[in-house]
Amino acid sequence: MENTQGKGGKVSADEGGFHFRPYRPERSDKLPPCRAMCPSGTPVRDWIAEIAQGPHDPAGREGSYKKAWRLLVASNPFPATMGRICPHPCEAECNREDLEGAVAISALERYLGDRAIAEGWSLPIDEDIRYPESIGVIGAGPAGLSFAYQMRRRGYPVTVYERHPKAGGMLRFGVPDFRLPPAVLDAELKRIFDSGITLVAPVRVGVEISVLELQSLHRVLFLGFGAQAGRHLGIPGEAGDQVWTGVDFLELANSGAVPALGDQVVVIGGGNTAIDAARVARRNGAAVTLVYRRCREDMPAIPEEVDAAREEGVETLFLATPIELIRSDTGTLTGVRLQRLQVTGTDSGGRSEVRPGAGEIRTILASSLISAVSQESDWVGLEGLTKQRDEFIAGELKPADELICCSGGDLTGLDLASHAIGQGRASAEAVHARLRQLVETQGPTTAEPKVQADHYPGAGRLSLPSTPVAERLSDTAREESTTISEKEFLQEISRCLSCGLCNGCDLCWMYCGGNGFTRLESPRPGQYFAFSTDECSGCGKCIELCPTGYISEAR
Amino acid sequence: MNIENHGACARRIEADLTDSSSRPIVSFPAGGLADPATWGASKAEDATADSSKLSTSEMQLKDGSRVAVVGGGPAGSLFSYFLLRTLSMSGVHVTLDIFEPRLFTHSGPSGCNHCGGVVSESLVQILAMEGINLPAEVVQRGIDSYQMHMDVGQVQISTPLMEKRIAAVYRGNGPRNAPPRMGAGFDRHLLDMAVMVGANWRHQLVSGVEKSGDGWRIGCAGGEGGTYDLLVVASGINSALLPILDEAVIGYRPPTSLRTFIAEFHMGKSVIEANLGSSMHVFLLDIPGLQFAALIPKGEYVSLCMLGDRIDDRMIETFLGSPEVRECFPKGHVPQNVCHCLASINVGPAQRPYGDRFVFIGDSAVARLYKDGIGSAYRTAKAAAATCSLQGISASAFRAGYQPTCRSLTRDNAIGRFIFAVCHLIQKLRFSRRGVLRMVEKEQSIPGKHPRMSSILWDVFTGSAPYTSVLLRTLHPAFLVSLLWNLFVANLPGAASTSREVHPT
Ligand SMILES: Cc1cc2nc3c(=O)[nH]c(=O)nc-3n(C[C@H](O)[C@H](O)[C@H](O)COP(=O)(O)OP(=O)(O)OC[C@H]3O[C@@H](n4cnc5c(N)ncnc54)[C@H](O)[C@@H]3O)c2cc1C
Ligand SMILES: Cc1cc2nc3c(=O)[nH]c(=O)nc-3n(C[C@H](O)[C@H](O)[C@H](O)COP(=O)(O)OP(=O)(O)OC[C@H]3O[C@@H](n4cnc5c(N)ncnc54)[C@H](O)[C@@H]3O)c2cc1C
Ligand code: SF4
Ligand code: SF4
Ligand code: SF4
Repeated sequence: MENTQGKGGKVSADEGGFHFRPYRPERSDKLPPCRAMCPSGTPVRDWIAEIAQGPHDPAGREGSYKKAWRLLVASNPFPATMGRICPHPCEAECNREDLEGAVAISALERYLGDRAIAEGWSLPIDEDIRYPESIGVIGAGPAGLSFAYQMRRRGYPVTVYERHPKAGGMLRFGVPDFRLPPAVLDAELKRIFDSGITLVAPVRVGVEISVLELQSLHRVLFLGFGAQAGRHLGIPGEAGDQVWTGVDFLELANSGAVPALGDQVVVIGGGNTAIDAARVARRNGAAVTLVYRRCREDMPAIPEEVDAAREEGVETLFLATPIELIRSDTGTLTGVRLQRLQVTGTDSGGRSEVRPGAGEIRTILASSLISAVSQESDWVGLEGLTKQRDEFIAGELKPADELICCSGGDLTGLDLASHAIGQGRASAEAVHARLRQLVETQGPTTAEPKVQADHYPGAGRLSLPSTPVAERLSDTAREESTTISEKEFLQEISRCLSCGLCNGCDLCWMYCGGNGFTRLESPRPGQYFAFSTDECSGCGKCIELCPTGYISEAR
Repeated sequence: MNIENHGACARRIEADLTDSSSRPIVSFPAGGLADPATWGASKAEDATADSSKLSTSEMQLKDGSRVAVVGGGPAGSLFSYFLLRTLSMSGVHVTLDIFEPRLFTHSGPSGCNHCGGVVSESLVQILAMEGINLPAEVVQRGIDSYQMHMDVGQVQISTPLMEKRIAAVYRGNGPRNAPPRMGAGFDRHLLDMAVMVGANWRHQLVSGVEKSGDGWRIGCAGGEGGTYDLLVVASGINSALLPILDEAVIGYRPPTSLRTFIAEFHMGKSVIEANLGSSMHVFLLDIPGLQFAALIPKGEYVSLCMLGDRIDDRMIETFLGSPEVRECFPKGHVPQNVCHCLASINVGPAQRPYGDRFVFIGDSAVARLYKDGIGSAYRTAKAAAATCSLQGISASAFRAGYQPTCRSLTRDNAIGRFIFAVCHLIQKLRFSRRGVLRMVEKEQSIPGKHPRMSSILWDVFTGSAPYTSVLLRTLHPAFLVSLLWNLFVANLPGAASTSREVHPT
């Protein structure tokens, strides 16, 4: 331990004396875990700070709500939507976790999103900038719309081509209404198009209009047509009535035409599509059994959704896979033969590896079957674009004189909607930089803030309001949860630790013995003090006291 | 001659210093001036005599009154403890909030109220009498002697009287990167005691104070702290609060202060035992601007404390590079220090530290010069609490009940300043260093001889007695004769100290 730690002086006979070595404090904005974990890269901390550190009187608060919302939508133009359906990876590593629970970020986002809809706030667009390059987008899902909005907001004319009559992609046809009311989605989509984006729909690119034609119309093409084709099981008996893929079934249900299911529905799969299909089927009165080939913890679906499905009475059967659908002589579906599986190990992704367990086969009753095992992209008429997609995934953007093509969302691999939104934004940034020949700017620092959580007062995490199970099942359109109140919103906002950004706690200024910190005349969220090391004694107190980790040791 | 007699002398002097019309400001009860055990706040009974006509009925704490204590160092915690205990005995229930943002659980300067951590054994005993028992892990007793280092030699002085031991405490959670310790440090322990008797500890920093009607509005970063009937400022002098209070708290001027240097060296128990023993090492070196410097062993660490007029890295380096200091470290190598801070120490009293509904205590009011700041915090806290509970919270109540304590500390400091000037002179003059050294050497080597110089130095360095009593002892004829004789002998041609051989390090 001796002579290895500390920054103090050291002495040795040869050097002839002790040398005083001070700590060198430095202030820098650091990347908070919420933002680092958010696939859309939402500046969670910063928009929260606008309100948490904004004026406390209700009169001034309205302005800070709007400022916060602008920061939020600059990364994610769907806050009311994402506040409902996103499994909030941003909360997973929130530094507040050890202090009575992570900040309920998605509930906050939902509140602000709903408020913006209720008050009719419009997306900020700089009307003065008008670039000539025309932008075309194939697919009005979250990826395509995020890209479209990001280009529009930077001053480009944008046209979106959509196969369905209405925009929204899987948010509209996949995610059920009880999780995302159509009115909420419609309002957020309308706001995006109101910012000056043209929607051409319904039009199936590749079939009704060729890619070649789009190329002649646009300087840039974004491929955002997702993965909307449900995979089939490929087992005997699959062809025939009462069998749907998950996405087909949900699309029917979401357009108000739930098919007659009978009283015993079997759903195959462990992802969001399977769970959503099962929950919709439950709401239509059927008994539902979900069959998944691996174990509970291996399910790719959002864990909270799995819990909700079980609460609602969905039965689960793990380590089993269908091998045949049994039909009566008249072709009516009566049951599913299942093969038992057993765990043999763990794959590289940490999921169970399974293989058939010998001889164990059973049959369960089924009046309908929904197979939600996976989805893939529909490349009909778009085959020529696979190369562009692969190149883009590999990180290549075409030189400036060629058509720029980029892609995102489910087209590049099934993932969360937030991921699609993030890719849309990242693509727009890259395209804009290419078109305007901008030098690549330094991204935000990736240094992790060292937070002093014990500085903050205790305050329990908000309990999220959810609708009782009986009411959920009796009213199919009933939202499964409700939006928090303004009081709860403000209380939860105040729990954020402001990781990596000054929150004006005054500690450094109060305890610095060297007058290093001077109050700013007009402080604003994140900026409270001017700092100078002229009289710094190098005690390092401020580094250790700063609860947000904004002050750290200079490297 | 014994210490009690000095006490009597001191009482006379105090009486003389006071205007003839009024009673003695401080009456040290029998039991001895030198023993801080009897230093309680100025007698409440004395003061109550005037209080009836001085304080109005609104300027009293009553059921439901709200008290804000800014700062949970020793002064704030002890005040809260005394006030709540006294009030509860008379059945009055107030809300008392202590604003203290720090938990004292961090190691290093951020969790600490920076000081040498030297507490006289008698203060530990007073606190025990007050019902505040310090657990063993808070008080690390063990310093039983000090060693004086000068260029002309060094000498070890054992405790002059057996009961005068020194306890060492950590004000926070130990030096930077120290392994986490069991239990809390001194300051946290006192704060916990205050909470136990009913104080609310608000982990908030006070960023401003405003007059609001009859009371005070406390401003905290990120929100309001509430309004209060009584404001007690115990924020010490190591924060930026005092300078910004003068607008709200009219008339108050912060104390004058001096920068100090504290550093901790990790050397390990056995190395410390071999090199420093259980002595506090005091250095009287002729380094310009340096008033006082000491090395204090504490378990695995050694604390360095330097006081001076303009401490900077040059002075620190000169000091640590001097042979007398390097001798205390193994093979003459001063290791890397694990933490340091340049804390301020109170060297001149605040102006008008009280008024209607406010009082400043501890370092933000007045402290004993260079020494025993914790003891001063105790005295001011106790006096202020007694005033608030028995006399009221008006300016006149504080003038009668609280000011005498402040004044006696200030007066004692004037004498302290003189003693330090003399010490400084000794530091400067080689011939006098020789004399002092010889006198102490003789006292220490002849058992049974009255250790006059030793006990004076002991009290100067440890703060175990008021400066007044120290001064009186230096004026004692026996002392002066002895000093003159030693000055003479030590400076005879050919006279040399033998101490290096006597006390090899
Ligand atoms: C049932 C279900 C539930 C889900 N639940 C969640 C959830 O709770 N949380 C979450 O974060 N994510 C969830 N997801 C995933 C999320 O919806 C998707 O990751 C996201 O929608 C992908 O966005 P995208 O824009 O890439 O594709 P899509 O949303 O699939 O959008 C593609 C769009 O392109 C259009 N299109 C396709 N082909 C053509 C063509 N040839 N010409 C013109 N237009 C075309 C389609 O009509 C569609 O509108 C869920 C997905 C499903 C299926
Ligand atoms: C180098 C040095 C060595 C010393 N050695 C000794 C010694 O050996 N023995 C001894 O007895 N004394 C010593 N002292 C003196 C002693 O440290 C002080 O006199 C004593 O700490 C004073 O106690 P206090 O409660 O008044 O103030 P402090 O101990 O300074 O406590 C003030 C408290 O107020 C809090 N505070 C400050 N600002 C605010 C705010 N705005 N809002 C809320 N809270 C706030 C702080 O966090 C702190 O906890 C030494 C001092 C120095 C500088
Ligand atoms: S406390 Fe706030 S800034 Fe820190 S991770 Fe959580 S939400 Fe983000
Ligand atoms: S608290 Fe002040 S003196 Fe200490 S390191 Fe920070 S800036 Fe320097
Ligand atoms: S200590 Fe507080 S005021 Fe200072 S930089 Fe850190 S968060 Fe900001």
